[in-house]
Formats: sequence, structure tokens, C-alpha cells
Amino acid sequence: MSTKLSRREFLKMCAGSAAAISLAGYLAPFMKEAVAAGAPPVIWIQGASCTGCSVSLLNTVHPDIKEVLTKVISLTYHPNISAAAGDLAIKEAIYKVAETNPKNFFLVVEGAVPMGADGLYCTVGEEGHEPLVFKKLLTDIGSKAKAILNFGTCSAYGGVPATDPNPTDCKPVSAVVKNVPLVNVPGCPPHPDWMVGTIAHVLLYGDIPELDAFGRPKMFFEKIVHDNCQRRQYFDNAIFAKTFGEMGCMLELGCKGPFAHCDAMNRMWNQGNNWCVGCGGVCIGCTEPQFPGWPMYERLPEMPVGPATAVTADQIGIVLGAATALGIAGHLAGNVLTGRIGPKKADKSKEGEA
Amino acid sequence: MIKKMKERHSIWIRIFHWTNMIAIIMLILTGFYIHAPQSFKLFSSMDTARTIHFAMAYVLTFGVIGRVYYAIVAKDAKNIVYRPIEDTKKLPSMLKYYLFLADDHPYYGKYNPGQKGMYTAWLVMAILMIITGFILYKPHLFLGLSGLLGGFLVVRIIHYAINWLFVITIMVHVYLDIAEGIPILKSMFTGKIPEDFHHGYHEES
Repeated sequence: MSTKLSRREFLKMCAGSAAAISLAGYLAPFMKEAVAAGAPPVIWIQGASCTGCSVSLLNTVHPDIKEVLTKVISLTYHPNISAAAGDLAIKEAIYKVAETNPKNFFLVVEGAVPMGADGLYCTVGEEGHEPLVFKKLLTDIGSKAKAILNFGTCSAYGGVPATDPNPTDCKPVSAVVKNVPLVNVPGCPPHPDWMVGTIAHVLLYGDIPELDAFGRPKMFFEKIVHDNCQRRQYFDNAIFAKTFGEMGCMLELGCKGPFAHCDAMNRMWNQGNNWCVGCGGVCIGCTEPQFPGWPMYERLPEMPVGPATAVTADQIGIVLGAATALGIAGHLAGNVLTGRIGPKKADKSKEGEA
Repeated sequence: MIKKMKERHSIWIRIFHWTNMIAIIMLILTGFYIHAPQSFKLFSSMDTARTIHFAMAYVLTFGVIGRVYYAIVAKDAKNIVYRPIEDTKKLPSMLKYYLFLADDHPYYGKYNPGQKGMYTAWLVMAILMIITGFILYKPHLFLGLSGLLGGFLVVRIIHYAINWLFVITIMVHVYLDIAEGIPILKSMFTGKIPEDFHHGYHEES
């Protein structure tokens, strides 16, 4: 496979501020060449998801999404936009492609994997009049893939479906498929550039990009939202918004920016128009593994201390602090009464000496 | 009359005590401001508070490293490290004294088991604070560590909860210190304590 784009240039393109240009548009000619030269096929499957990640990908308008899907990415199957349906989709577009390209195709997974009731909560097709559950489809073809690209927080870390109480027992892909390289592209939804860029990397170079400790490509997820926030100066000057719509840093309103990793503040959404904080919302930390298991509009969550009772860290601190102050006051009173401190002490020590 | 004095705290113990004390007090004050800048208006801006907080974090980190090194080299560790079996056995007599059930307590060595427990806990708490603090300070450097602890929000809660533990134990420390006698407080400045200062009775052997 010959590529004109060096890896260094590619990473620079992906990691750099991409607000002014379209990553997909820039990559398209190189990708077309790679696909024409026979890049591995890509299969896209969906589990317990809201299809939001797919919709986000469709938001790539330049070049036209039709071109992205058919020429830029050698996408053989996508549940929402492929014409194939029924046996044609399951047998020909998924299983046959997987079997004829062992360890030479990339599997994109969108959505978590429901494990409860033997996977029956997510049926994706039919196999000889028996329901084909997503869990089986994923284990069948997942182990044959060269690498699995987890698009969205659900497939990467469990996300919304796996959040407590999790009645369908949803699990991230990493809990189901072992021994296959995984790339997590979290986000709720992920930015189209993160998805196109990750697919471009695996197709152009045949291997997965450099990942951080949570399995995310470093080229997109190395920055901290808080450190690059447009409202950062407010934070430094201690100007804090008390309600939405006010000027100021939104930390007190529950912004998760200080520990959320992504580059949305530079890349921006909807072809570089705006981003979460830009339109007055807080960062909800949608690219982090614990998302959405935290209160989105509160700084620190309440902690359960008993049945139907939850307290904040501050309440615990104040109660313990008051108890300590009371204890000290009580002990002080005891000390004075027993004469351990105060005027009686001098006499006592004399007694001891005598 | 000049009282005969003996050394209680070496110069190094005093230096580490006061640098760590300044660092911890400043970390607590700036920490509360960083936690609730709206209601704890002690500093002019987040910039000031954070700069002090991070600078003091380094002071405390190296203070703890230095204090641990000193404790090992000067064989001071035996005075301050809580020994689970021996020191727990000594606890009842100490508690009786503090609860006014006994007039005096046996001689325990330099520190009583309660002090040893508190100082050992402070070492553990300080190490936890340093680890969680640096995770929050440089999130992209300690990503894997934050994952092990359950994510950044959990790290934040641990960091904040231990801060309250420090506040409470420092209150107890300062109170008991003053209540047990001014010479003890003085000794942390001068290093010396009167030779006849009462540290509990020696059990008849």
C-alpha cells in the first residue's frame, strides 16, 4: 500500500486545530487511493446504542457523506444506511466478508453489549428462524477482526446502557472480545473527525494509532478541556457563574472540564461552528470511562450512607468537624474540672514532689 | 531558678514539623477556596490560590520525603510508627486517662499510642493526598492511576474527604498539645523540655 501522506503529517493533521478545515475533506484523496489499492474492508455493527454515533458520522458534509462511505471508507456494511437487509446483510455483507478476510478487516462497534437473558435484549437478525443476538454476532466476527474500533462511549466503556441499574447487564466490547486490538473512540457522540480520522489511520497505515491508558487515540484525546476552555480566564480570575446563561466559569454548575479529555474546544462541532461550553452548557465529560455515572450539573455527587439517604462530602465534614469541636470542648471542661489544667495544677505538682 | 533541660526534638524534626505545618495549613486554606470559591472568599483569585496550592504541594511532598528519610536514618521511626499489637495493648490505659477515669497514665516512651497512631495515619493520609493531588493536577500524566482508583470524580472525593480528616485531626492535635502543657508546645520551637516534665508514671518493675 503506497501512501503519499507520511505518518507524521497525518498525526499533525489530526491533532492540530481543525476548526478551519475539514479533516475528512483533507484525507479523502489519500483514502481514495488507499481504498482503490485494496484497503481492508470495514464492517459497522450496532448493539445497545441510540444510533447517535452514526448520525454524528453522517454530519460529515464535506466531502459528501456518500463519498465518505463508499469511496473514503471501504464500508461494506452499516445497519442504518446499507441497502442490504435480511439474510443478504447478515450472511453476505457481514459473515461472508469476515470469513473471506480473516484478520484483515476492521470492525466498528457502536453501542454496548447486552449480556442479560443470554443477549436477547438486543436481536440484530435471524439465523434459521432463531434470533441472532448481538452478543453472538460480536463474538463470531469480533475475534476474526484485525482490530475493533469502538465508536462511542457505550461500546468503549459501557456508557448509558451500562449505567446503574443496568437491567440488561450491558458490558463494553472489551469485556466480550479478548485478544483483539481495541481502539476506543468515546464521546456521546464522538466527533465525526475522531471517527473518520481513526478509520483513516487504520486504513492508511494498517495498524492502530497510539493510545492512552484508556485506549483512546492520543491524537484526539490528549488535551484537557479545562486547560483549553474559552472560559478559562474566568476560572483564573475566580469569576464563577451561579446560573446558566451567566458569564463566568461553570465549575460550580458541575462542569467536568478539569478532567475530561478531548479536543472539541479546538475542533468544534457542526463543521467548526460551536461546542458544548460555547453554547452555554457545561462539559459533561462524555469521553471519560465513568460517564454518565455522575451528576452532570453538580460539582461533587452525594454519597449513599444508608437506605434512601445520601449526603454530600461537605455535610459529612461539617458534622464530623462539629463533633470534634464538641469533643474538644467537653474534654477541656473535664480538664478544668479535674484540675489537670488551670490554677490547681501548680498545687498538684507540688503535692507530687512532696 | 533555671530548670534543667533535655533535648526532645532535634533541629531536623523541628524544621520538618514547621515546614510541613505551613504547607498543610496553606493547602487546606487554598483547598477550601478552590473547592468553594463562592463561599470561602479568602483569596483574590483562583490563580493566586492555585499557585499557592501547587507550590505548597511540592513543599509538602519533599517535606514528607525528607521526614521519612530522617525517621529512618536517625532511627526516629520507632518513636512515631504505630505498632499494631504492642501499641494497641497500651491504648486502654491511655484512653482511661483521657476520659478522666484515671489520674495518670504509664510512661509510653516519647509518644503515647494515640499520638503514634495519629502520626502514622498522617503519613498515610499525606501520601494519599499527594497521589490524588497530582492526579488532579496533571490529569493527562496519571490517566492510568486515576482509572485504578475509579475515575477522576472518585479521586476528587478522596482528596476532599482526606482534607476534612486533616482538619479534624489537626484540631485534636493542637488542643491536646496545649491541654497537656505549654512546655510541650515550647519544645517544638526550642527543641528542649524540662528534665522533670511529667510524662506519666514508670511502672514498678
